[in-house]
Amino acid sequence: MVSKKKNFLTFQNTIFNLQKYWSGIGCVILQPYDLEVGAGTFHPATTLRSLGPKPWKAAYVQPSRRPTDGRYAQNPNRLQHYYQFQTIIKPSPDNIKKLFLNSLSVVGIEHNKHDIRFIEDDWESPTLGAAGLGWEVWCDGMEITQFTYFQQMAGIQCNPISVEITYGLERICMFTQQKKNVFDLIWNDEGTTYKDIFYKSEKEFSKYNFELANTESLLTKFEIFEREAKNLTIHKLALPAYDQCLKASHVFNILDARGAISIAQRSGYISKIRDIVRGVGELWLQDEY
Amino acid sequence: MSEFFLELFSEEIPPNLQISARENLISNFTSFFEQKKINYHKNYSALSTPNRLIIYFESIQNEVIENSKEIKGPNVNVSDEALKSYLSSNKITKDKIFKKKIDKGEFYFYRVPKKKFKTKSLLEENIPDLLTKIRWQKSMKWGTYDLYWGRPLKSIMAIFDRSTLKFNYHHLISSNKTFIDKNFEEKTKVFRDFKSYKRFFYNQKIIINHNDRKKYIENKLVKITKLRRYKIFIKDKLLNDVTNILDRPNIITCSFDKRFLNMPKELIISTVEFHQKFFLVYDRNSQLINTFYVVSDCPDTNGLIKKGNENVVDARLTDAEYFWKKNKSKNMIKQVSLLDNINYFKGLGSYLDKVQRLKKIGGLLSDEFLISKEKVELACTLSKVDLLSELVNEFPELQGILGGYFAEAQGFDKEISESIKDQYLPSGPGSVIPRNNYSIALSISDKIDTLVGFFGLNIIPTSSKDPYGLRRLAIGLIKIIIHNKKNIKLKDLINFSSQVYSAQSINFNNKIVIDKITSFILERFKYFMKEKEIRQDIIETSLIDFKLDNLLIIYIKAQKLNKIINKEIGIDLIKNYKRSFNILNTEINKIDNENFSNVDPALFKSNYEKDLYKKLHDIRKDFNNIKIENDYDTQLSLLSTAKKEITNFFDNVIVNDGDEDIKKNRLLLLKLVCKTFDNYLSFAKLETTK
Repeated sequence: MVSKKKNFLTFQNTIFNLQKYWSGIGCVILQPYDLEVGAGTFHPATTLRSLGPKPWKAAYVQPSRRPTDGRYAQNPNRLQHYYQFQTIIKPSPDNIKKLFLNSLSVVGIEHNKHDIRFIEDDWESPTLGAAGLGWEVWCDGMEITQFTYFQQMAGIQCNPISVEITYGLERICMFTQQKKNVFDLIWNDEGTTYKDIFYKSEKEFSKYNFELANTESLLTKFEIFEREAKNLTIHKLALPAYDQCLKASHVFNILDARGAISIAQRSGYISKIRDIVRGVGELWLQDEY
Repeated sequence: MSEFFLELFSEEIPPNLQISARENLISNFTSFFEQKKINYHKNYSALSTPNRLIIYFESIQNEVIENSKEIKGPNVNVSDEALKSYLSSNKITKDKIFKKKIDKGEFYFYRVPKKKFKTKSLLEENIPDLLTKIRWQKSMKWGTYDLYWGRPLKSIMAIFDRSTLKFNYHHLISSNKTFIDKNFEEKTKVFRDFKSYKRFFYNQKIIINHNDRKKYIENKLVKITKLRRYKIFIKDKLLNDVTNILDRPNIITCSFDKRFLNMPKELIISTVEFHQKFFLVYDRNSQLINTFYVVSDCPDTNGLIKKGNENVVDARLTDAEYFWKKNKSKNMIKQVSLLDNINYFKGLGSYLDKVQRLKKIGGLLSDEFLISKEKVELACTLSKVDLLSELVNEFPELQGILGGYFAEAQGFDKEISESIKDQYLPSGPGSVIPRNNYSIALSISDKIDTLVGFFGLNIIPTSSKDPYGLRRLAIGLIKIIIHNKKNIKLKDLINFSSQVYSAQSINFNNKIVIDKITSFILERFKYFMKEKEIRQDIIETSLIDFKLDNLLIIYIKAQKLNKIINKEIGIDLIKNYKRSFNILNTEINKIDNENFSNVDPALFKSNYEKDLYKKLHDIRKDFNNIKIENDYDTQLSLLSTAKKEITNFFDNVIVNDGDEDIKKNRLLLLKLVCKTFDNYLSFAKLETTK
């Protein structure tokens, strides 16, 4: 689906092509999770589905929020809201590297014309109690993808092992469209730019995240979400309890952006979320065997 | 003799894991051959690329012969039952055993016949085990398999004497072929010997030997730099990393916009070398320039790779520049109060509390160092402001350094900006140690405040865990004191820091804090002296009267003693001390409570006693001489002057006299000998050199 007018892929075509490609591999094509999350990994289709013995293949776009990365739309490379394309396959297939490299071709990166490297990046999410081994994939020095074999999720050893491939869509399009500024990305064939769509929201959310978010009420919210999650866990409702973890996690991220949490306190908050996620994971597993 | 080589093909294994796997493989295989008594030629090696772990032995014995031997069994008088179980446990029948008399009596024996083993079969049998014995610092599982490896292992090629070694390893079966396209794993090729294997890859410009690859990259980098009359300072760690993340090196010269050179050079180094693993270039005056080298894993046929890499560096530097410009001019003084919003540690207040404490400790040190109190206090106050900056959030490895640059940009005195830059030094083994008094004052204040705070909260490192890096802090303190010859009264400083905490209503049990920090620093100090190659018994003995306030003196004395310990003077000193000490030890009860000053000259019977007494008296007097007080070389040679008197005493006087009073007096004289030596430092744990 290369645009006829230009010799590069628009942002939305990049998404379409990836969806089509992974659909061809047999993945369920899902839609984004409808809560604020920091990364595609937080989607229950990855976190919870990577637990237990049942095979699973899915791919989806996930809008991701990282309040600390906001730059008031003044920086050409940083956004507090951006898109990840996420593929999760359990068990990880033997030919996954080939599948991945072929997927780069559908977004316009011919692997034999570029310097593609697999650079060690052992991934860990203390909040999710998750860890995996893998790489960040570099294309001519730019990180375009995270490639991870999950070893642990929600504090539970994974068996079989899932592989997660996370594409940074903006990075990839900046590369294929040869743009130095993320706001110059072309979204569709009509020429709508990333700036047209997101400039205002980047500005406003940066202001909110860094300056105006009410830390006191956020701290209270954190406690409310934590309590709610615990209560739902007692009632054996894994998915609703997990939603509360996601909300708590996002609140934590904003507090972090506000500088309201010291390095020393961080671990306390993180372990609170991790504890609930672990409970949710154990609940989830009960129905998987 | 035959050639043996093994290739383990996997997805990309990280540099550190490659290095340790290579070492493990070599030692597993060589010790296996030695254990099986299989001879091998000294030309062998373990090599790697990100995808291939290779072990190669140029020539190995084809078979090993185990000579026939007699094995001793139980005594002939053993019960039938015991004999039966002996036979069955050794899998032999009764007709194979025979009786034989030896010194200890008559025993059953049996003969193991001469045996031949084929190296090939031994390898096939044992390679799986040798592979399992690799100790990965980090390993993983994948798919549905049970195997743990650095990254997914895809194929095993094993060749001995041009043919395949056949074995199973988990779900994999060994063969004589390997994947030759590392990314798609679709094309395979059969190999029969190492030479053709190496040549095949060499023809594709792939260097499978990591040592050759490293040299190749280094030589190329140096060569093209020289051509341009520039300089390059290749960090070994970076070169190793780069060598181990590719197999087909190609150097591309790139550049970034000159305007970035106006930023602190640490930002550029961090971005280009640390994050991107590229090499920076310097001009003839060793000033950073805007050229850098990318080592790519393939040729750049149409310039796309160069362009792509330049764009990445440009983007990263733009990001750094954005923050640098934004942060550097933000008034530091005005930001200090904002430090109150960042908690330092639960129970230890905010960073504002912390800098207020540092100000007090720094102030005290400035009096001691005779430097401007005002400047030290200002440096302390500003020291943590950079934590508020986005730049430090982006480059956490540069905290402190960036604060120093901010201070410099805002026109603070050089002493202030430099000391902010240096506050976290020394940062690890081989790190620079602060030299000037302002830097020392801030660095020590910060370390003491942290140590006292964490120990006050009873957060103390365990043998395996030290999440707040307190060991590094303690070693840092020791290094600063020793390298700068600062006789700092640590105990006083800790007490003072504790008081400063308590002025902020943060109260600790002072005695416990002092005791715990003392033993914590003592352990680090031991380790430090060991690293300085001071003999173990000197370390032990020098710490008998350990006082936190005396680190420097203890160290100097131990070091001076270490220098002479194997020379005649040292050997004599220990010998003379030990002779006295050993006798005292056996008679300890008699004089334990007696003060050596009770030696009664009236009880001396011989001149030897009188001479020794007089000599010791003279030495003791000299020790108190103000000129000798800090001259430890002289002290040691002073002690050695007693050699003649001590030797004469032992050669001619019997301590164990029939008269109890005389005996006791002589023991006291020996005690005086020991106490005199102990004036330098306790000699009690020194060992006589063999």
